[in-house]
Amino acid sequence: MCGIIGCAGRGDETLDTLMHGLSKLEYRGYDSAGVALSNEDLSVRRKAGTLDALRSSLSGQTLLDGDDSAVEGDGLHDNPVGIGHTRWSTHGPPTDTNAHPHRDCTDRIAVIHNGIIENYQELRDELAADGHEFHSDTDTEVVPHLIETALETGMAPEEAVRSAISRLEGAYAICAVIAGVDRVFAARNDSPLVLGISEEAYFLASDVPAFREFTDQVVYLDDGEFAVINKNGWRVTDTDGNVVEKSINTIEWDPEETGKSGYDHYMLKEIHEQPRALRQCLQGRVDEFGGEVILDELSDLDPEAVQFVACGTSYHAALYGAQLFRSIGIPAQAFIASEYATSVPPIENDLVIGVTQSGETADTLSALREARHRGAKTLAVTNVVGSTAARECDEALYIRAGPEIGVAATKTFASQLITLSLLTLHLNGSEDDREVIAGLRDLPSNVQAILDDTNAREIAEEYHDSDAYFFIGRGLHHPVALEGALKFKEISYEHAEGFPAGELKHGPLALVTENTPVFAVVTGDGEQARKTIGNVKEVEARDAPVIAVTDGVSDVERYADHVLEIPESTPRTAALLANVQLQLVSYHAAALLGRPIDKPRNLAKSVTVE
Amino acid sequence: MIYVCTITLLETDKVRTFTTLAVVTLVMPTDTAVVLAAGEGTRLRPLTRNRPKPMLPAGNRPILEYVLDALIEAGIGRLCLVVGYKRSRVQEHFGPTYRDVPIEYVVQSKQLGSGHALQQAEEKLDGSFVVVNGDRVIEPSIITDVLEASKTDDAATLAVLERPAANRYGAVVMRDSTIVELIEKPDDEYRLVNGGVYVFDQRIFAALSETTRRSGSLLLTDAVDLLIYEATVRGVRTEGLWADATYPWDLLTVSRALLERGLIDGDHPETDVWVSERAIINENATLQPPVVIGPDCELGPGAVVGPNVALGQNVTIGANTTVESSVIDTDTRIGAGSTLLDCVTGQDVKLGAGTVVPGGPADVQINESLFRDEHLGAVFADRVQSGGGVRCKPGALVGTNARIGTGVVVDGHIPERSEVVR
Repeated sequence: MCGIIGCAGRGDETLDTLMHGLSKLEYRGYDSAGVALSNEDLSVRRKAGTLDALRSSLSGQTLLDGDDSAVEGDGLHDNPVGIGHTRWSTHGPPTDTNAHPHRDCTDRIAVIHNGIIENYQELRDELAADGHEFHSDTDTEVVPHLIETALETGMAPEEAVRSAISRLEGAYAICAVIAGVDRVFAARNDSPLVLGISEEAYFLASDVPAFREFTDQVVYLDDGEFAVINKNGWRVTDTDGNVVEKSINTIEWDPEETGKSGYDHYMLKEIHEQPRALRQCLQGRVDEFGGEVILDELSDLDPEAVQFVACGTSYHAALYGAQLFRSIGIPAQAFIASEYATSVPPIENDLVIGVTQSGETADTLSALREARHRGAKTLAVTNVVGSTAARECDEALYIRAGPEIGVAATKTFASQLITLSLLTLHLNGSEDDREVIAGLRDLPSNVQAILDDTNAREIAEEYHDSDAYFFIGRGLHHPVALEGALKFKEISYEHAEGFPAGELKHGPLALVTENTPVFAVVTGDGEQARKTIGNVKEVEARDAPVIAVTDGVSDVERYADHVLEIPESTPRTAALLANVQLQLVSYHAAALLGRPIDKPRNLAKSVTVE
Repeated sequence: MIYVCTITLLETDKVRTFTTLAVVTLVMPTDTAVVLAAGEGTRLRPLTRNRPKPMLPAGNRPILEYVLDALIEAGIGRLCLVVGYKRSRVQEHFGPTYRDVPIEYVVQSKQLGSGHALQQAEEKLDGSFVVVNGDRVIEPSIITDVLEASKTDDAATLAVLERPAANRYGAVVMRDSTIVELIEKPDDEYRLVNGGVYVFDQRIFAALSETTRRSGSLLLTDAVDLLIYEATVRGVRTEGLWADATYPWDLLTVSRALLERGLIDGDHPETDVWVSERAIINENATLQPPVVIGPDCELGPGAVVGPNVALGQNVTIGANTTVESSVIDTDTRIGAGSTLLDCVTGQDVKLGAGTVVPGGPADVQINESLFRDEHLGAVFADRVQSGGGVRCKPGALVGTNARIGTGVVVDGHIPERSEVVR
């Protein structure tokens, strides 16, 4: 799990461009980082720790001529090309020597890599037997040595890089530079890589925000493709070296959607962006007076049954989606993507829906591939246009939440729920749609009402030093309870668990004490609400503080110590609204505990390894 | 070992390159503007319960968007927004840049006056800079005039406009092009008002630190007053749209002025009907110009909207409902068969079927003052909900989250979060 960037044509701003790009890619990993500049000479600087550690090791230097420099030289101001990397460890701990870029024995080749090279041990043994010296524990380091070997046989640089890449098995997005060569070489297989085109410079990166400040023109590379950029142009070729005609896409969102703009954390900013994100999601897709939901991007789908595959927060959205499908009479189940392949359910005319914010989640991609292999039709529900999931699936449905930087998913979860809601309405036009659509159209303002009036901070102040935190809910509120707990543990590092309300008495109740607050989601006053209130009474009897997340329709307030109020709405939107209150409680608790909210330890934004 | 390679490879076949465009940069001596957007605007309550005054609607966009548009059109390349009261609404709306111009946010945590607000931005500023209020719609020419007249030696340059109601704003006395006096509470003889658009240099901060606070508040005009004695304070006579909302009914006047002048964001200026392409208008609905309909709005069959109506985003107008001379803000829903005249709604207002706001002149009490014969049908603040058949006497002010029962006749003030059943 890493972020990579390469650029050509940025002149003496090359280093700044790389550092800026890396700051935009930090969400992909941040346990070490490094950069390399190359023209006649090659120079490398890398550092364990956050990007700030690298930045301060570079401060005051215009050239990379410090201790870690491979070749002392003063030619680097003369229009170098550069590559940069931000890492999240897979092979080897986060140390300076394991940080990318990695070099060959001659210190003239530098390589960065995102993914896992599965046959690296074999390659390393072979290279070591030939006398190559390795300095890191990484799989990546074999690549510069392979290039070195190829160059020694007299190959031209591009041919040499190509030949090295051909030896690799596994997942990779790779960029390489060679001293004396004015180009950045790149290859992609199963890891994201996009090419950016501006008027005077060219970019390669794991994700668009890395260079969005400089251009909105991008080319999405496909697996097996090879790209070259220099200050004058770009070219994409296939495995055999034939030029591939690629279409240039225009990115519509702005860099303004990144940057904290006055908020203390991206997470809080993104929580506050939910009304806007939901408007974008609904835009042009609902017609209330016509009672219609229109999803233009989908062809005619008529699934007999649905299987969801997803991980983490997206899995909670999948649980919600599966319930909505069952409610319209379509059998549906949600699977944790990494478990799916171990015991694949029978597939006959099933639609398999992968829910993945980034569209690059390795576990979800592999489950979708397994399903497709067995003949299922696949649909990606994702936030990222042109992502691997979107391109590999038969169909793609976009949640349109805009870029999310905070590692803890907030607005994208809300947008996933609403997108799945739209999907079921689209497949099942029925009489009561008008009322349901009105509920969806009221959603942005209902979320705004919570943001304006929430007392989540007071709740967090009261309980942030408790022993553990439990979240319960029933029906559509079950995924909300799970998500509430996941959010809480991710950013506060406190123990938090979510349960279906009825499961409490089958075990977890043993954990409930006067020092374990229980968050109960109860809306409406139907059967489910009454039953959950029964569970609330169970925990109340054990002296646990109860915080009810409620629309005030039932009398749950009588049994609760505190209330987090949400506006009255429809059952499918109430779940989303309750979740906003729980996001805010998690945020404030983590802030009070002094946690690094946007970059929780050991976690990365999108997990591109299995 | 050096691998030599020429760049020609990428200049030959199948290589796409872009021609470098020449970029012409205009040299602007004053590139930065400070926008004061921290205040609540208490005389506009209850509309400012959830957002600061600069975020209230002018037509169907926040006032502050007009202010930033004017600055950017006058060539400003860096914006510094002083935010405070309900600042999240400003930050969320604009984010880190507006129209590609970077925005820095400076927080004034306690609203202790316009001078105090500017002090908060001091460390972000060097040289000269523009200062404007974020709660008044202005045309770019006003800013351009001040920028062009400003001389290096001036400690301050400010816009001066001729307005009949000088007593609402504060007047100036000019000798040639120099300001000789600021009159805080002018009588009817004064016609020249301080436009609240300034160019300052660093001397304003020295003046601010010497200015006496008045009951805790530090006013920018008091600091300018001090500067008058120490240096040149230049006045620039200028004209143009300069529309200020002090009281709720002013929002109707401001929107009407924008609609009449065509200062609405969108196409179709020749017909004076601006409809977002994301709105759904029933074929049997009627739009009477001038009118603007925001994105995601839905208008039911038989709805008649306009003239002088601005609908924000995602507004729903029920079947056979008539709306005239009104500003209806985002997410509001008006039930079927209603009639609304001279009405201002906040966001997320839900009015039941058959709501009647007949409009007309009204006597309205704001804080301690009584205003006579103001054209105001009713004000519904954010998230008011009413049942069907509610009638409003002219000048009704309904507070946020109030619940009004079916068939109630509303008269005068309804406090926020109250429930009216009869």
